Formats: sequence, structure tokens, C-alpha cells
Amino acid sequence: MAEADAGSSPSSVDGGGGGSVQNDYPTIDPTSFDVVICGTGLPESVLAAACAAAGKTVLHVDPSSLYGSLYSSIPLPSLASFLSPDPSPPSSTAAAPDSHTVVDLQRRSVYSEVEFSGAAPEPARRFTVDLVGPRVLYCADEAVDLLLRSGGSHHVEFKSVEGGSLLYWEGCLYPVPGKRQDIFIDKTLGLLEKRTLNKFFNLVKEHVAAASVSPDEAGEVDASAKIPEEDLDLPFVEFLEKQGLSPKMRAVVLYAIAMADYDQDGADPLERLITTREGIQTISLYSSSIGRFANAEGAFIYPMYGHGELPQAFCRCAAVKGALYVLRMPVAALLLDEEKKHFVGARLASGQDILCKQLIIDPSYEIPTLDTSFGGPDLKSPRKVARGVCIISKSVKQGSSNVLVVFPPKSLEEQQVAAVRLLQLSSNLAVCPPETFVAYLSTPCTDVSSGKQCIQKAMHALFSPQASDGSEGHLETADESTVKPTLIWNCVYVQEIRQGTSRPLLSCPMPDEHLDYRNILESTKKLFTDIYPDEEFLPKKSAPVYADDDTDSE
Amino acid sequence: MASRRRMLLKVIILGDSGVGKTSLMNQYVNNKFSNQYKATIGADFLTKEVQIDDRLFTLQIWDTAGQERFQSLGVAFYRGADCCVLVYDVNVTKSFERLNNWREEFLIQASPSDPENFPFVVLGNKIDVDGGNSRTVSEKKAKAWCASKGNIPYFETSAKEGFNVEAAFECIARNAIKNEPEDDTYLPDTIDVGGAGRQQRSSGCEC
Repeated sequence: MAEADAGSSPSSVDGGGGGSVQNDYPTIDPTSFDVVICGTGLPESVLAAACAAAGKTVLHVDPSSLYGSLYSSIPLPSLASFLSPDPSPPSSTAAAPDSHTVVDLQRRSVYSEVEFSGAAPEPARRFTVDLVGPRVLYCADEAVDLLLRSGGSHHVEFKSVEGGSLLYWEGCLYPVPGKRQDIFIDKTLGLLEKRTLNKFFNLVKEHVAAASVSPDEAGEVDASAKIPEEDLDLPFVEFLEKQGLSPKMRAVVLYAIAMADYDQDGADPLERLITTREGIQTISLYSSSIGRFANAEGAFIYPMYGHGELPQAFCRCAAVKGALYVLRMPVAALLLDEEKKHFVGARLASGQDILCKQLIIDPSYEIPTLDTSFGGPDLKSPRKVARGVCIISKSVKQGSSNVLVVFPPKSLEEQQVAAVRLLQLSSNLAVCPPETFVAYLSTPCTDVSSGKQCIQKAMHALFSPQASDGSEGHLETADESTVKPTLIWNCVYVQEIRQGTSRPLLSCPMPDEHLDYRNILESTKKLFTDIYPDEEFLPKKSAPVYADDDTDSE
Repeated sequence: MASRRRMLLKVIILGDSGVGKTSLMNQYVNNKFSNQYKATIGADFLTKEVQIDDRLFTLQIWDTAGQERFQSLGVAFYRGADCCVLVYDVNVTKSFERLNNWREEFLIQASPSDPENFPFVVLGNKIDVDGGNSRTVSEKKAKAWCASKGNIPYFETSAKEGFNVEAAFECIARNAIKNEPEDDTYLPDTIDVGGAGRQQRSSGCEC
């Protein structure tokens, strides 16, 4: 905190790879907790808030000096050390206390193929980079509800992705109609397309309305408004064909509204095809998000200052409920009981042993396997996502600040097997200085080089490289609105995705390839239910009460 | 929205654990004091309506929620503060010596655009203890430090007796009002998903 005390100043963010530990830390007291959590990613932070709200004693530590772990937003100059952390130093296996066995813990790198290009404009510190990008919240999704229920909503403010969504199709960008009115003012749609699309949205709307009615009221609504069960089980792409949507309209609905990842027309394994039921679920979330908040435009919102604000909000809620917070504190080892069957505590890097009933470990730690009965390490290679971060000179859509762009499969090249999403953010979100824009890209991939190649193709489709003399654009006479934004700086990398596990040790999910947090929060909730089956997950009343405390004032 | 911003003043209270941050807040907002110390649980922030020169303001006073114990306050806590209150215990020299660290921590994390002129207020708390006989930091020493940091206003308080607490917070409010919010440009269309509903209820009529 003082300048001499470099380890704690935010300007010296380490990659969380261990490093020196403050020696002047007071000893943590008490020495045993119901729950010890290492890592402050969004799932760990939500779990901390949920456990604290359920009355559990919680110790929450993080090796880094920043909150957020794999979900943090970091100053751009620290990005390189975050993506390629130094290997964690070998832990010292000192004698175990009592009859416990000490198992050293190692961290692994989650990122690979990290590649930087260009020079970030100064002051580079004013760029805040999300590790989970591109990502947004739907106004009506579970993340927003959890923020409301926990009281975390007091600590985050949002802005709209007000420029809406664009579809990259045959080399051009087309607006994605967000609501029915948009269809009619869209000049890029033919009359027949407008009619078909409108009919389709009406069908979905009536289905959702009919399906949301409870069975005892069902008599009063038209049951025929529901889409038949056999259609709901169909691949969504087939259903859209049946409705007469053109290939471009199908791409709009599949990839830019239902947010399908993989090629729905291709010969991909069937599990990658989304069903009509799944498609309609996302469309329904999308449309209920529009208009949920009076001053929100469109379905998506983005947290001011970046996604790293979200874990902080939940940690703050947990702290208010009594959870103890210690940053810059790696876990060096785990403690096993006498039979070497159960984890009973953690040895902190400070050397202190903390006992606990439940241990939750950041997924970037290598989880030791206890014995073969747990099935050993996951032999399947993990899913991967290729991500890109760019600094660009102007907006991809004139007059808009924050925009989502979707490149459907095969739109960039024949080998493109999955959709690429790009989220452009402006300085109105306080993530970059004025006159600059930040863009995030991602695409799921099995092969790292083709994943990275897709990200690069998408960048080059929308942005022009910086001229060698540093000037922007080549044609001085070109109309300002037709000149592509200049790509000033970029970073491309691949992240592995591991799911949450509850055995042998509870470990939370890594940031996934999706645009929102729905899957991550769903598995977080499941992990909570696994450890506390009788407790409610962040019940509505868990937000602190702000009312003037006049109930007992007389 | 710009006017809402001016009406709502965010104040954060920093200082070592046990110096009486929560007690000062509670004494000021609820006129209550409890001798029983527990590391802060349960309060996120407290609000109080204040009238300054015929204008009504809502003072939103943020507690550290115990996250100061291991210097683990996140950057989000510091954002948008209009005034930073630094508290030490006049009976504990270390808590005074650490004021400098807290001030620097604040300036790094909140990174106000004009750090030289950002309003701080320093409170020397617990002057009641042992009739002042156990005091280890003199008023003179504290005032000298405040003067060296750009004339930070200084108050000696007792949260237990309620001594000087009202005066200190009036000064805090006045200084908070003077602070020009720098991120005004960001604010006009921010979306508060919690809506104003909860806050309006708690603070009564918003007129």
C-alpha cells in the first residue's frame, strides 16, 4: 500500500502465480472455518456470498492483489503477466500438524498461444481488459437476479449495448432486428423477408405466452398457440426452414439471437445442434430483456469498469455477511485427514494451517487426485475458446458506442466451424480513454491454430491494419463513414475451459465460450446445492437492509 | 441524473481495524454506541439526510465491511467517493502511522483526477479512553501531519460519548459537496438494475 510495499499496490499486479507473500500479515483468527475458498472468480465469489448468507463462516483468499481470478478485469500493462504467469514456486512441505498429511498444490496455466501485436496507446493503464470477453448480461437473466437478491446491485452500474447487434454476412454488416418494430424500418430486408420474420416472431411470442400460463388457467388461452412438442424437439435450424426463413434470416435468428455456437447446417455431431426448445428459450430471454429497465436500450447490458466489478460486488456482499477476505495469499498445500481420504484444510503461503469443513479451490490449481476411485484426472481434453482483444480507432457502426457483431460459421472462410462474436465497447463504460474503442472476440475451438485464425480473420474483416507510418487509412479522400476502424493493438490467445467439479475437491467452472453467465451460474448454484442441500441459494432476503434502523429505536 | 448525482454523496471511511469506523458511523446516523467490538458485520452503508445551506443531501457512508483487515478492499469500493475519511485511534500510535498508507491506498485505487485537492478529513477517535491518559498521539502531531498533506481538516472525536461526531460529519458533508464528480460524463445513462426503489423507501420521501 505504501510505495515501498510494492506487492500490494495495484500497479504491480502479478499473474497470481505465487510470488512473495507479505510477511507482516497478522495471523488469521479463527483458525477454522466452515468454508475456505481460494480464488475470487465470479463463481467462487457468488459461492462466498451464498455461504455467508446461509450463516456459514467463510475465509476467502486469493493469490493475486486483485479480485476476480480468471474473471477479472485488469489494467492493460498487466495483461501479459496475467496470461503467461510465472510457474508457481515449489511449495515447502514442512511437517504436518497432528495427524494430517500435506499435499502440495500447483497452479497450471489456463492460457496458451498468447500473441501480442502493435503498441498500446499511452497511458496504457487507462485500458481495462476483461479476461472473460466478449461477454454481456441479458437484462432479464440470472446474473441480474443474483445481484438483486444478494444486494450486489448496489456495487455495480451498467450501460446498454445500445448499438444493438450486427450480422456479418457476405462481407457486409447487417442490423439484427431486436424487436418487431425494427423489422419494418430495416431497409436491408425485402418485403417477403419482413413478412416471414414478423410471422416467426409472432409465433414465438404466442408460444411463450401460452407456455407461461399455469395448467389450471390453461382453459382460457388458446392452446393451439403453442408450438407442438415434436417441433420443439426438432433441430432449431429445421424448424426455421419449415417457417420459410431465408438462409440470411436463419443466420440472424440462429447465431445473432439464439446465440448458437456451432454450424447448424453442417455435418457436426448432433449434440452441437440446438433444439427449437433451446432456441426459443434464448429468444424469449432476449425479448423479455428488452424494456426491462427504463433507460436500457436493447437486451444487453455491460458493467461499468468491466466484468471484474461483478466478483467484487459479490465478495463485498459476502464480507458484509461476515466472510473474511485476504488478498495476496496463495494456498500452498492442502491438508488431508489421517486416512488420506478427505481434505480437511489448507496451508496458506504464509505457513498458517487453516482447518475447514469445505474447501473450494480456484480451477487454475491442479487438483490432486487422491485415489483411483475418483476416476483419476479428466482424460478428455478440455474444451477451448480462442479469444481476442483489440484497441481500435473508431466504432464499427457510426454513431454507436457499444455494439455486438456476430460472424456466423463459414462467413469468414469455409473452414470456420463456429460463430465468432465480437463486442465493441466505448469509453462511456470507463474501460478505455475517449476516442478509442476496445473490441473483444471469441470463438470455441478444438484446434487452437484454426481458432486463432478465425479470430484474426474476423479482426481483418472489420479493421484495417495500422499504416507503417502510423497514419490512419490509405485513401485520404475516402468518405469517413466507409473507412474501416484502424486496428491499433491486439492480443490473441486460447483459454481452456474446465467445468466445475465437486469431487474430490470442489472447483468452480472456468469462464466459458458463451456470451452470458447463464451456464456458469447454473453450475455454481448446483455446486452450492451439492455442499448445502438444505440451504437456499442466495434467498431473496439475503440483501442487507438499508432502511434506517428504526425498528428498535425506542 | 446529473442532479441525482449531486444529491447523493458517497463517503468512505478508512483506517485500521478497531479504530472505531463503524462506531462513528453508527453514532452519527443512529445515535447509538455499543461497547462490544466485533469486526464489522451486517452494514454495507448507512445513509443520512443532511441539510447544508438550505439544500438537502443524502450522505451515503460506506463501511469497510472488515475487508480492511488484510488490506483487501477492492477497487470497486473506492470508486466514485466524494470524500474519504481517515480514522485513527489516539491511543494506538500504529493506527496513526498507517494513515499515510491509507491515504496513498485511496489515491492509487480511486485515482481521482485531481489528487492534490481531493477532500480528506482526519478523525482522531477514542479521546474518551481512560480520561485521555492512555493517549499516545498528540493533537499537535496529528495536526502537523494533516497540515503537511494539504491542510486536511482534523477532528478529535469520541464515538462513545458522541463528542464532536456531528461537527466532523458536517465538515465531511461540506467537503464532499465541494468535490466535483469527475465521471459525470459517464453517469447520465447508467443503468442501476436495483432501481431507486429500495433506496427511496429507506430514506423516505425523495422530494
